[in-house]
Amino acid sequence: MSGTNAGSNVGSNVGSLGDLQRAFQDYLFRDSDAFQAAVRDTKKADRVTLLDVYRDGYALRLVEVLTTDYPGLMAMAGPADFDHVARAYIAAHPSHHPSVRWFGKGLADFMAGTAPYSGAPAAVEMVRFEWALSEAFDSPDVTPIAADALMALPPEAWEMLSFAALPSLRRLTFEYEVAQAWQRRDEVEPGNLEVARAAEPVTWMIWRPERISNFRSLETDEAAMLDALVAGRTFPDLCEAVAPFSSDDRAPARAAGLLRTWVEAGMIASFRH
Amino acid sequence: MSAATVDFGLGLRPEHYEEIAASPGRVSWFEALSENYMVPGGGPMHWLDRIRRDYPMALHGVSLSIGSIDPLDERYLDELKTLADRVQPMWISDHLCFTGLRGLNMHDLLPLPYTEEALDHVAERVKRVQDRLGRRLVLENVSSYVTYAASELSEWEFIAELSRRADCDILLDVNNVYVSAFNHEFDALAFLRAMPRERVRQFHLAGHTHKGSHIIDTHDHPIVPDVWTLYAEAVRLFPGVPTMIERDADIPPYEELLAELDVARGIAAGVDREAAA
Repeated sequence: MSGTNAGSNVGSNVGSLGDLQRAFQDYLFRDSDAFQAAVRDTKKADRVTLLDVYRDGYALRLVEVLTTDYPGLMAMAGPADFDHVARAYIAAHPSHHPSVRWFGKGLADFMAGTAPYSGAPAAVEMVRFEWALSEAFDSPDVTPIAADALMALPPEAWEMLSFAALPSLRRLTFEYEVAQAWQRRDEVEPGNLEVARAAEPVTWMIWRPERISNFRSLETDEAAMLDALVAGRTFPDLCEAVAPFSSDDRAPARAAGLLRTWVEAGMIASFRH
Repeated sequence: MSAATVDFGLGLRPEHYEEIAASPGRVSWFEALSENYMVPGGGPMHWLDRIRRDYPMALHGVSLSIGSIDPLDERYLDELKTLADRVQPMWISDHLCFTGLRGLNMHDLLPLPYTEEALDHVAERVKRVQDRLGRRLVLENVSSYVTYAASELSEWEFIAELSRRADCDILLDVNNVYVSAFNHEFDALAFLRAMPRERVRQFHLAGHTHKGSHIIDTHDHPIVPDVWTLYAEAVRLFPGVPTMIERDADIPPYEELLAELDVARGIAAGVDREAAA
């Protein structure tokens, strides 16, 4: 059953289960009012009032889901503008997933590609940051390695040593100070959260070593080395990744120092050599 | 686990995780919302496992869409089976409704027309789900706001017949009976009396929002006196059935829900005393 001919099926066989369900869903999407003919008034309320419980409830429920997912965007946009973008997204992206947990996944791309929201790049970045946080929140659990596991390796092992980051690790580059602003999201009236433009784009990482998600900004060389690590490159390659940012003889020490920092921060899931 | 240990429970909600873990024994069981735990890891799974160690649990879903004309969602059933293997629930419930079609989820419990066609359709799907899960499914009556002109049966006739045909159990939501009885002007007691006694596996209680001309099932208020009265009738008709309170919005402190559960305990105890007198 394709159901692409929205709302045209009710008249032919009003009792059919499939026709009724298609008409009901089309009604919720505001594609057709034909479903009104399939239900009854009561003594207390007319059918349109009763159907509005479903039609209004559909959007309200999903706006609430997005409100929970995106408090930083709410703090920036305020209730009216938030409602505007939320309803536009709901209309453009009906849910395909059994859980509302995943409904908001496409909001950043939707905003980035849709006027007038695309004209607010700081808001788009805020949404990307908040979704990355939510992905880290319930990503697979992996116990990070401890520093002494690396200390025990023989020197020759480091030639082929490579790593896997935690499944929760996310890297995002922002032109605006969205992570800093996000931390102030509850301190201002909704709509008043100001997000400054950064002096230059900064890469941030988000990761969850246990149950609490962490995030911090990365130095330029650290971001380059992390890219290499996530790509599965060996430790000598990681040293090469930081080399352009420091003198050659200091690159191995810098790479080792960064690696130790990451291990101690609980970012590294495993290694092999 | 003995039947005596599973009587009065609450919905497992993130707002109460830490308090539940810190003060075991305040309720006898929890009902966890299946879809909230269909995630790879993190806090939700930690708390689910942690609290499961102390309490029996039931899994309660909202997206099975048992009445939809869409094919059954095999991936959803896989995830539900995986979760059930982890939780080892006392039973798995969902709603007698559809939640969408064409692969979409409206995230609402949309009522079905009570027709022979729908009955055949749902009974066949319930059997397939039960085969897949290897257990009997428990289906809940939903609150509804519209009546289909096409309906040939009453809701209670439909549910009772479905439970017989599909060999499934019933989650009797007392608030939903009350809400739908008001909205559709039927006798709530007639609904209760029509439920096959041996099929009623669990009670739900919840608050609602009265709009004057109709009532909306919002789960954001305390249970109203009329629903408590109907609950007493349900306990008379179906003694010993486990009860739980659902609260999904404006979630109060844990202690407040425990106090509301004490009201249910008191009503059930009163019915027991009546029966013994």
